[in-house]
Amino acid sequence: MDFKDYYQVLGVQPDADAKAIKTAYRKLARKYHPDMNPDEGAEDKFKEVAEAYEVLKDAGRRAEYDELRQHGGRSGSSFEPPPGWQGNAGFSGAGGGNFDGDFSDFFNSMFRGGGEPRQQRSGRRGQDAEIEMPVFLEESVSETSKLVEYLIPVIENGQVKEVKKSLKVKIPAGVQDGERIRLKGQGGSGQGEAANGDLYLHIRLVPHPLFDVEGHNLVVNVPLAPWEAALGTKVIVPTLSGKIHLTIAPNSQAGQRLRIKGKGLATKTGRGDLFAVLKVVMPPSANSKVTALWQSLSDESEFDPRAEWGN
Amino acid sequence: MTELVLSISLHELCQYDELSEQIIVEVVDHGIAQPVAGRNVVDWVFDTTSVHWLRKAVRLHSDLEIDWVAVAMVIDLLRRNEALEQRNRHFEQQLKRFLDC
Repeated sequence: MDFKDYYQVLGVQPDADAKAIKTAYRKLARKYHPDMNPDEGAEDKFKEVAEAYEVLKDAGRRAEYDELRQHGGRSGSSFEPPPGWQGNAGFSGAGGGNFDGDFSDFFNSMFRGGGEPRQQRSGRRGQDAEIEMPVFLEESVSETSKLVEYLIPVIENGQVKEVKKSLKVKIPAGVQDGERIRLKGQGGSGQGEAANGDLYLHIRLVPHPLFDVEGHNLVVNVPLAPWEAALGTKVIVPTLSGKIHLTIAPNSQAGQRLRIKGKGLATKTGRGDLFAVLKVVMPPSANSKVTALWQSLSDESEFDPRAEWGN
Repeated sequence: MTELVLSISLHELCQYDELSEQIIVEVVDHGIAQPVAGRNVVDWVFDTTSVHWLRKAVRLHSDLEIDWVAVAMVIDLLRRNEALEQRNRHFEQQLKRFLDC
């Protein structure tokens, strides 16, 4: 077991007063709190900082810790508590926070009496878990069954083990990006008689190669040749459920949105709409005949697309 | 098939997270989470998304030792950040579509 230099963890001098310790903790906690900092490693760093503060903020525990430090503890060095050591200041776990009790072996041997695995409060409910659940737009339109596979921590003989679980879930029609769905009793297993935790599925709508999502509506780009926009045409437009025919009026403008009712995403009461956005696309190259046709159009037309600039 | 729910009751929240009713009332009073049903406190029901923010708020309050007003501001900003990230993803995808063809 390694000795932990809590003063070093908080970046304070061993003779720092309570106020300086509190300030140092708050500063580091803000920086590394996993709810504020999604970076990998931030959570471990936060746990380290929280553990140091748990000891140093309490005068009794700090005095005991200082005594051990005198006894020869150096950061990173192998450490055994002195024979007969029994922490008096004790630790029963503070409620509320997420990291209550998830401390190092060093801490447990100092303040929880011996190096034995910590006994969880009897009958403790299993932990809740949250996983990201990718859902395809096509799947969101009607109720769909999906197989979910995830790892869940399970405590066996005092050791935490990750166990793979898989289950089939019915995703209701009309789920939205960012929504969270709760699956009762599918989280970490409870101890003894206690109930299992819950599993939360964080819904993520998978980006679609054709459709963009705007609330319950979908948007699809309809590429048109310049002459199709000018003369009007009929195009076949893909939707989530089959194809439809769409009439493009003569003299249609790029960026124009055509509403196709009821072809969007599912809602609690029905379906959103699909918007077809017209996009005029130039052919990548032109032969001499086509160039000549463009030229005669240019000679004939008085259209000035930059009239607003007033040049 | 697993039982799937979109809500959680005040009673369940208190029991599962070892929270006092008073803490949840604080969170609601500060506009961090809103019950979707229940006229009286004991009947409150939350949707699963606001529970996510409620739990975050409780953790921040106890781990960072900041008061509820500050927690409410942080949660508000985190939510806004999440919404902006989502919009950003959306616009990036649109831009890509626009530039591609």
